[in-house]
Order: sequence, then structure tokens, then C-alpha cells
Amino acid sequence: MDLPKIGLVLIGHKDHGKSTLAGRLLFDSGAIPEQKLKEVEAELKIAGDESFRYAFFLDMFEEERRNGLTIDVMQMPFRSKRYLYTIIDCPGHREFIKKMSTGASQADAAVLVVSAKEGIQEQTRQHAILAKTLGIRQLVVAINKMDLVGYAEEMFLEICNKLRTILGSIGYDDPPIVPVSALDGENVVRKSEKMRWHKGLSLIETLDENIVPSALPTGKALRACVQDTYRIGEKEVIVCKILTGALKAGDLVYYDPPGRRGTVVKIEGFENEAAGPGDSIGIVMDMDVGAARGQVISHPENRARVPRSLTAEVVIFSDKELKTGDTIRIRCGTAEANCTVQKLLEKIDPINLIASADPPSSLKNGDVGKLVLSPIEPICIEEYSEFPELGRFIIEDRIGTAAAGIVLRVETKKMR
Amino acid sequence: MELGSQNVGENLGVLEKKSIAILREARAQFRNPAALWSTGKDSTTTLWLCRKAFFGKIPFPVIHIDTGCKFPEIYEFRDRIAKEWGFDLIVAKNEEAMRRGVSPEKDRFECCTELKTQALKDLVEKKEFDALILAIRRDEHGIRAKERYYSPRDREFKWNYKDQPAEIWDLYVKPSECSHTRVHPILHWTELDVWLYVRREGLPTNPLYFSKDGKRYRSLGCVPCTVPVPSDAKTIDEIVEELEISKTPERAGRAQDKEKAYMMQKLRSLGYM
Repeated sequence: MDLPKIGLVLIGHKDHGKSTLAGRLLFDSGAIPEQKLKEVEAELKIAGDESFRYAFFLDMFEEERRNGLTIDVMQMPFRSKRYLYTIIDCPGHREFIKKMSTGASQADAAVLVVSAKEGIQEQTRQHAILAKTLGIRQLVVAINKMDLVGYAEEMFLEICNKLRTILGSIGYDDPPIVPVSALDGENVVRKSEKMRWHKGLSLIETLDENIVPSALPTGKALRACVQDTYRIGEKEVIVCKILTGALKAGDLVYYDPPGRRGTVVKIEGFENEAAGPGDSIGIVMDMDVGAARGQVISHPENRARVPRSLTAEVVIFSDKELKTGDTIRIRCGTAEANCTVQKLLEKIDPINLIASADPPSSLKNGDVGKLVLSPIEPICIEEYSEFPELGRFIIEDRIGTAAAGIVLRVETKKMR
Repeated sequence: MELGSQNVGENLGVLEKKSIAILREARAQFRNPAALWSTGKDSTTTLWLCRKAFFGKIPFPVIHIDTGCKFPEIYEFRDRIAKEWGFDLIVAKNEEAMRRGVSPEKDRFECCTELKTQALKDLVEKKEFDALILAIRRDEHGIRAKERYYSPRDREFKWNYKDQPAEIWDLYVKPSECSHTRVHPILHWTELDVWLYVRREGLPTNPLYFSKDGKRYRSLGCVPCTVPVPSDAKTIDEIVEELEISKTPERAGRAQDKEKAYMMQKLRSLGYM
């Protein structure tokens, strides 16, 4: 009964039916308890609109139900034959980019929901590029509301063609596209009699067939970030989270920055021989290595890098604009550092999803762009392709998380 | 079962590691945290995770909110475990409201708000806690499913659910300008996960969870507002079996969840757990 878990985020333009599709997936897979059905019945009477039935399984706030609009991210589990999915339903409204990003950053895969009637809209494109930038590699498209276009194949094919070009240009090559009606339950869980022209699978079968759970990284060099140090009796225990690679007693390791080294004497209360990715452990060293929160532990043969500058792709979701010369605070792993925005390289055009020819003067809320940062204080940061968890960061401002980024390239100092 | 239980172990291991990492993040980032403990399975599991995260000793106070009308089994369990596990237990009570005779018979909403939320608010202000570790889970209630791992409460103790902060990957940011932050280390666990973990770790369990005369409590609260659900489950194994087929929601026996639509939303927006 213990199935692999998949975080599945539903993205797309507002009113294209994300919550209704989520509700339909939950309902048709038997994940909605009877008491909830009764509660929703009563709410539908107040709303006076039956079409909100499935969305109301997820839109739990009174304001969401009154306005027919999702305000915040919702997570709910359901089972298929193959996986235990957690549906992450996000608001589609353009003002809610930070909430959409919150949901997307927790997902293994995305379903891009596009209305067959309205076709590709602003947040269809924007959410696709945001999902890509936040590191979601697996995408399935659901062309929803097929009931509103008489289940016509031409309408489906027309949107498919346009979508494939756009999605291809940002690196989602030839994703599976499924026609559905979430409201009528056509081709979501069960196959549709009304769309016999669709020879492919239903949406849930397509997901089961195409999505794979994110595997823990294997065969990579050690990277562990120090969370804290505790004094327990006479001992100093360094608590850290292993991101990649393996760590065991007897290992010679570096703590960067600044890069002091020592030998691991013991892993506290740990039964296995070596600790691996995902483990949160406490280690005791043979000497004082000046361990502190924010440092990265690595082996001498493949040491963590402390770059002089880095090129990154960022998603902005704060009202503060980002300009060349700004000092920003970034957070990567458990480390924080001030950085200078050295250069803005490009901005992705929100219409055709192609990078601007000229460098932009600023990046603002909802923008995706490339920039060069130079850390003012030393910080370990890596390329996303090699060490995903040390190759992603957030930009903090006074209020909280203002942007998220992926590191494309790092330039290392010549001298350590 | 052999193969199944192996997988279950893997799942529990992943859940546990994530929760431990969150607890350590919270301890590193907040000046003065405390944990909330109802004595129920979720908060007892969370205290156990704290013991693991901090190598045996819970390094901050544990708060129990006493409404004066909890089950006798809750008080017994509380005092026994607090002694065995050796942590600093603080019992929070809104005695002023109790003297005024606030009770669920008069107004359930007022009762929860006065005896639980206000009692907690007074204590947080007095002790200047900047983080409260709470054992809520997304699958318990739709309103809790909207939560973050780090969730700020404003100066008036309120939850601004319409404008929650972004929370990206596992980069949890300590919010500024708030009265305190709720930290939710088991937000991603399900009810079944908790019971499987309680079984695996051999955790002490309040006897109210087990069937007596064909009924058991699935969620523990105050005597007047909590009813048992029909069940023959007398052991943890039987509870696990029951949950795998159950269609009844966990909090079906909790009055504040269904009294009126949106009662939970309104309670929580004022600072309820």
C-alpha cells in the first residue's frame, strides 16, 4: 500500500479550471470523504453555481468560495494505481506569483491547465516559464473545458500546435497533452466516450505513465550544509544536512568558507556506516574546525566552491525592482550572504518566452531574467546542474522571500 | 507485509529526516522557541522528534494549554511523560476567563478563543517566545492544508491567511515584524504516517485512542466538545488497519471543525492552532 510519492502542482491562467481539475482528480480517485461532500453541497446552495462543485473541495476559505477564486496554495493527497500524489493547487491570478512559486517549488511535476475555449493566456506562458526556472523538469498539459468547445478535435489540435512551439522554446520538449473536461469528468480518470478521436490515455494514466519520482542523488561528491553546533557535555556536535554524497567516520573533510579541515571522529546516534543524501546528522570532529552555520562540508578531492561571481536565472515575486548595482541578500542552503548585482543580462519576454535582445534596465514582479551576482561575503554556492540543492537560492528582503534563482555558472576565485 | 513494511520504513525515514532538519533550522534561527503539547499523538510525536533532533534533551519549554476541562487521562499522561522525558513543562491557563464562567454551552467559538488562543497569547507575551512549534498536519483540516512550515502571526496574534509569505524549496525564512512564528515540523505527515511512526518508535500513547465499548477517540480535545467515533481498534495495529479503509475524517469528533462553516478558519485567523 505504500506507493512512491509525487508532488504534482497545477499551474495555468486564472479560471482555466485548475481547482476544478484538482477537485475532479480527488473525487474520481475516491479521496473525498462523505462529510466533505455534504459540506460542499450546502456551500453550493449559497454560491448558487453548481460548476464550483469540484473547486470547493480545495478552495476552503470563505473568501475563495464567495469569489470563485483561489487565494492560497492548497495541498491534498490522492492515490492512483501507481503513486501517492499530493495535489498542489495554486492561485492563477497574476498578483499571486509568490504563492504559485511556493507551490511549484514543492513539486516533482506540473500539470499546465489550458482552457480549450480561451486558449493560451498570459499566465499560461508565465507559469510555464516559472515552473521551468524553479527546476520542474516534468510537465504534462491538460487542455480543459473541452465541453465548452463541443469536444471538437480541431480546437484541441490548434492549441496543441501553438503550445508545443512555446513550451519547446523554454525546454519542455514535446510534453504529453491530454484533452479533458474537469467539470464533466471526461478523460480525467476515466476515458471519454465523447472524445473517441483521442487515442491516448486519460490524464491520470498519462501521469502514471510519464512521471517519475525524484530520486535521491547518487554517485555525487559530498556536500553537507552545517545547520548549527551544539555543546553536549564536553563534546561539540556539528549538526548538518547531507545534500549529496556520503560521509563516514574517519573522513578528512573541509569546512568552507573559510576552509579549515579535520577528521570526522563519530556520527552521533547513527546506525548505518555512512550517512547519505537527505540525512540530518550530528558529527564530532577530532579538533576544533571553527564549524558554524552556513558552512559546507566536502572532501578534499572535490571541494565545495566559493565563487567570485555567478550567473543565475531568477524569478521575481516582490514589488521591489532589481537593478544593476543593488546590494541584495541571498540565502543558499543554510548560508546567507550579501551580493552585488553586477549585471542584468536578459529578461524573458512574457509573450513569446524568448530572451530580450538588449539587457533590461530592471527586473520586476513576475519577471524571469538572467543576471550576474558577485558575493560580497564568501559563500559556498554551486551550479544547479551539478548540485541542485546548492545551486538554488532565494533573495530576501525586509518582508521575506523576494525572489528565487537557479545558478547556471559559477566563476571561482583563483586563490582560495 | 514484509516487503510493504520495508517501504513504510523508508517513507517514515524520509518524513523524520525532514522534520528533524526543520526543528534544527528553527532552533538555529529563533531566539526563544517553545513547543506546544496537547498530549495527543501528533504533538507527542513532535516532542519525540525534538528529542532526536537535540540528542535526547528538549532544549526549550513545552507548553500545555489547560482549559480546565480536559480528560483525566490527558492530565495523567501529561504529568507522567513530562517526568519521564524530563522537559520544562509550562501549563497555560486563562484563569480570568474560567472565573467568568466561559464555557462551550454558552458559545463554543468564544470558549475556544478565550481558553485556548487567549491563554496562549498571554503566555507568549509574558515569556517573549518568538517561535511556537506546533504539530498540525495538512491532512487534518482544509484550513491547515493552506499553511506554511514557517507561519508568522502578526502583532495582534492574527494569521494573515490572505497574504502568506512565499516559502521556496526548503529555505525557511524567519519572518520579521511579527509577534511570533508558528513552526510546523510535521505539516507534511498524514494521520496514518503518525500512527505508523508511533508503532515503529514504540511511543507512549494516551489510552483514549483505543477502543472501549465499541468507541475510541481519534483526536483529543476538551471533554464537552470531543466525542468518540465508533471503532473496535484496541491496539495500534488495529488503528493502522482501520485507517487504511476509513472514510471518516480524523476530526469528525471535534465540534469546532463543523459547528458552523468556516469556524476553523475564523478561529485560526485569530491565532488558534
